[in-house]
Amino acid sequence: MTESLIVLYGALPYLLRGSLVTIAVVAGAMMLGLVLGIHLAVGQVYGGRWLRRVIGVYVWFFRGVPLLVLLFLFYFGLCSLLQINLSAFTVSVIVLGLISSAYQSQIFRGAIMSLPQGQLKAARALGMSDGKAIALIILPQTLRLSIPGWSNEYSIVLKDSAVAYALGVMEMMARAHFVASRTYEHLPLYFAAGFLFMILTYLGTKGLRILEEKVRIPGYSA
Amino acid sequence: MGKRLFGILFLCAVVFVIAGGSTCLAKEKVYINGIDANFPPFAYVDKNGNPDGFDVKSVDWIAKKMGFTVKHQPMDWDGIIPSLRAKKIDMVASGMSITDKRKEQVNFTTPYWNIDQVIVAPKACGRTVDQLLSGGNRVGVQRGTTEAKWMKDNLIAKGKNFVLVEYDSAPLAVEDVLNGRIVAAAMDDAPAKDAVRKKAVKIVGGFGMPSEDFGYAIRKEDTELLKMMNEGLKLLMADPYWEELKEKYKP
Repeated sequence: MTESLIVLYGALPYLLRGSLVTIAVVAGAMMLGLVLGIHLAVGQVYGGRWLRRVIGVYVWFFRGVPLLVLLFLFYFGLCSLLQINLSAFTVSVIVLGLISSAYQSQIFRGAIMSLPQGQLKAARALGMSDGKAIALIILPQTLRLSIPGWSNEYSIVLKDSAVAYALGVMEMMARAHFVASRTYEHLPLYFAAGFLFMILTYLGTKGLRILEEKVRIPGYSA
Repeated sequence: MGKRLFGILFLCAVVFVIAGGSTCLAKEKVYINGIDANFPPFAYVDKNGNPDGFDVKSVDWIAKKMGFTVKHQPMDWDGIIPSLRAKKIDMVASGMSITDKRKEQVNFTTPYWNIDQVIVAPKACGRTVDQLLSGGNRVGVQRGTTEAKWMKDNLIAKGKNFVLVEYDSAPLAVEDVLNGRIVAAAMDDAPAKDAVRKKAVKIVGGFGMPSEDFGYAIRKEDTELLKMMNEGLKLLMADPYWEELKEKYKP
């Protein structure tokens, strides 16, 4: 028991450095997912028939194919096919980001759909262009409404990021595994990795909760 | 306002991705050695998180002698040859057995280590190898290894009655031996000795697989690198440091 604790204590700085890699992967993926997801949502709600169809297939694909399959497909398949040599880290960010964009687009789409339809018409009547009305009237409300769903997505991407270990990204899970291989202390190390993931989940969702409060408009309801 | 915000966010995402990618692209002259960091004592990560092990230190010595820089990149064993061929890494010096099948895909340096395959079981186990590999027993092995393939082709296919359970790494198989999910695990003798030093397991004996040679795997077209590594290995094995390595890592 004490031996396990000594191993764990010694491995902690190494695991914590892994948590920085995890945070970097998740932050990159969430940002990529946010930017793409907003565009996809707007396209799916306000776009023409063909655009809606294309986005539908995109969302279907990235929600339908398992993460591990996509990671291998991009890392070994696409990169060799297109002769581009991306690092495992970059591929993980891109793949997690693309998957997240599919999920996030549906969070944003739901939020847009929950707004009264008259708002856009009113904005148009005031002389705003479609783009301007969406950017200035619809999206500011959409983003506020999306925060609870988004914090859900954050915790899912955070945990999915552990799969990047299969490509050799040195995140927390990979590091816990390596230390366990050297020391044969599997239980305490996987436990520690799980605990660190829980802490990151707590910090992220707590932060988003605070953000939700901060940007709330008192007295406003959609 | 809204548009600008998206612009900034998008830029952030792009910069982030490029910054992450370029760290690998910028240093062109560095050779990357892909290792299975779950393979002590040949390759693992030490207390401070730095790659260590018999093969890691060997390549470090060769790099210094031959005048190049080497970076050790831990990765999954399953994907290590695809990674080598896809130029994600430049060599594999991580206890890789030289086989005809692998030779079709990559080149190997001259052999530097001879390895036997053994069966590992709990210390208290009184059964022989033949008894363990029979009666429908579950036996563990690392996925994608030569011993996994050999056991399938030469034991199970020829009527031996046991079930092969595949693991991500040899230490995980040892862990499951201790958990009692499998009666024994097959692996190279070096990691087996490492396990015996650290856990309540013992080496029961060999299981009839011919011994193998380890070599460094290098891409077919990199003949220059192959020549350099062969030369470096020759120098290393003639140097007193070779004995020091053997003493330190006890492979």
